[in-house]
Amino acid sequence: MDETMTTDASNAQDTVLEIENFCVDYGWGENAVRAVNDVTLSVRRSRVLGIAGESGSGKSTLVYAVTRLLRSPGVIAGGSARLTFDDSSASDTKRRTVDLMAASASELRSIRWSQVSIVLQSALNALNPVLRIGHEFDEVLKTHRRDMNKAQRRARAAELLGLVGLNDDRLSRFPHELSGGQRQRIMIALALALDPQLVIMDEPTTALDVVTQREIVNELAQLRARFGFSMIFITHDLSLLVELADDIAVMYAGNVVEWAPASDLYTTPRHPYTLGLLNSSPPLSGERRELVGIAGSPPDLSQPLSGCSFHNRCPYALERCSHDVPELRVLDDTGRKVACWLHETPDTVPAPLRRGPPRAAASNDTPVTARTSDQEVAI
Amino acid sequence: MSDTPMNAQLEARQLSRHFVVRSGHGFIRPKRIVRAVDDVSLSLHARRVTAVVGESGSGKSVLARMLARIVTPTSGELVLEGTTIPVGSPRNLAYASEVQLVLQDPFASINPVHPIRHSLERPLAIHGTPKSEIEERAMAALARVSLEPPERYLDRYPHELSGGQLQRVSIARALCVKPKVLLADEPISMLDVSVRLGVLNLLRGLCDDEHLAVLYITHDIASARYIADETIVMYAGQVVEHSQGTALIDAPTHPYTQLLIASVPDPADPLRQAPEIEDRTGQGIFPAEGCRFAPRCPHAMDVCRTSAPPMFEVADGHESRCWLHEAAVKVSITGREQGGPISTT
Repeated sequence: MDETMTTDASNAQDTVLEIENFCVDYGWGENAVRAVNDVTLSVRRSRVLGIAGESGSGKSTLVYAVTRLLRSPGVIAGGSARLTFDDSSASDTKRRTVDLMAASASELRSIRWSQVSIVLQSALNALNPVLRIGHEFDEVLKTHRRDMNKAQRRARAAELLGLVGLNDDRLSRFPHELSGGQRQRIMIALALALDPQLVIMDEPTTALDVVTQREIVNELAQLRARFGFSMIFITHDLSLLVELADDIAVMYAGNVVEWAPASDLYTTPRHPYTLGLLNSSPPLSGERRELVGIAGSPPDLSQPLSGCSFHNRCPYALERCSHDVPELRVLDDTGRKVACWLHETPDTVPAPLRRGPPRAAASNDTPVTARTSDQEVAI
Repeated sequence: MSDTPMNAQLEARQLSRHFVVRSGHGFIRPKRIVRAVDDVSLSLHARRVTAVVGESGSGKSVLARMLARIVTPTSGELVLEGTTIPVGSPRNLAYASEVQLVLQDPFASINPVHPIRHSLERPLAIHGTPKSEIEERAMAALARVSLEPPERYLDRYPHELSGGQLQRVSIARALCVKPKVLLADEPISMLDVSVRLGVLNLLRGLCDDEHLAVLYITHDIASARYIADETIVMYAGQVVEHSQGTALIDAPTHPYTQLLIASVPDPADPLRQAPEIEDRTGQGIFPAEGCRFAPRCPHAMDVCRTSAPPMFEVADGHESRCWLHEAAVKVSITGREQGGPISTT
């Protein structure tokens, strides 16, 4: 047990989860399909990391593998993931770092839910249809909070429902009696039941209406301001992430192709795929004009890829893009990263990927609505 | 309205569909009527895309299915190219060859155990195409949706194609029989973001080049703005706002449309205040009398709770089902920025 834990690391102060050179395959041997390829990411304390990508980009596989929830035939092919958290179970609170890849089953059990929890896309599938909502809460608290009695568990469940704006009469309901938005709120309340330090949201609002999505996103911002947990938010909706996240990693075909602070990514995309994604959503204002999106479709990962995985669809592809694989490299002094050969030399960067921020003050000084208040909590 | 002289390809007049549900427990369960679609009229014209926007449960899919005559209306009538179709008459081939429906999920709407060829050739055979022409027409349909060369796709199986390609196949299948009206029920919502525009551009192109009348059903109001010539917003089975072009998106006059637009994430406008929404009642429960949106409406007045509003004309070719426009004088619209108050002066 001891070798997987270290009490101190220099960057442990501000990093909750550190993923390094992470690779995940589906299948074994020659048939293996690389779903996540050499991903390095970190989640900062009390911040939101957004992961954007299309289906098959490996964004969900990455978080399932990191939390050791990945099932066969998914195989973790390499890399490390370390979780740092304040351990309050002992008499004095101290910061612990756990190597998730080396952790034993019992260690994982103690970390899951209490330190890392997940909200899944389909709340209907995630809740047991034959159990009342109250039972789900009761079960978690009974398992992880042995000292609580029945009345205390019930009170805690009602309190948690209150946090997400639901009346405690929902505890006696079955999942089918609730609307999609209410079910997703219950999933969020369940995820927060044990005050985790990291909450992973895997497309929590994709199946919901835009109005319900807005309500839930607003609630998440309030909850984060109050409890200060970190969050990984996975979605294919880049404009939602720009509002919600502090940093965004864009994934394509298993690789992180761009990593940047949210507002920079939106105003000055540096990877052709990010630019294409931003141009794929028709705007709600301004002149109506024809948009082109991204030509072609995402690659079939079961076929061998050469070079950059995006080169077939890239309007700016160079000759070397078809055979050399670009690495994720730091682009400038802001620390943002991009995996693209176009940025190797200044004269190959096409104009749309070279643009500066539209107006100097627009992005940096003005906090996005969703994270105005949590900055203080971050301290 | 500007388009009244034009003849509609397909017209729906006061179409309604009510479902009877029994709720609760026990031997005698009370009946409840769900008014999934209530008194909806619309007309679809050649070379025009009519967009219907609404959240789930607003009745937009039931509307599409009634227009395709898969669901029988409770009341109202359909008029296809000037011919009234009697309520209750069985759906026939002639109707199906004029009006075709494209469904939301291409993975579920194309038979996975047959190659693409089967999905395209079967409707042709059913509609009596001579055997010698069948393959040629199937290939032509694939070419029209930009799946080229068609031979490469005909003998593939659905699992070998991506979502975007499959949705193109299902559009090709609808086009095979040369319909005049294409009903597209959320055709892009299951697709990856990067291929959505391609399908939208395809629908727009088909509408312009093939003189199709297109009904585009969506919950994504931005995509409606991108493609529509006429826009309809539905809430709880009713049309609450209707405008030529995309006027109702650029200048929404119904509180629900304003809420819908204010809820869309828009990073270009980060300081926009998110709307306050009070409703926690859940879906499918609407007041029996008065405006159906009243419980969630920030501007609800006494009259809203007692009598249902009719459509009021707020501008040329722009109607809104809201009592706020009853005075029908000047309406100052402050839609997008605040989602906020309509003031009648």
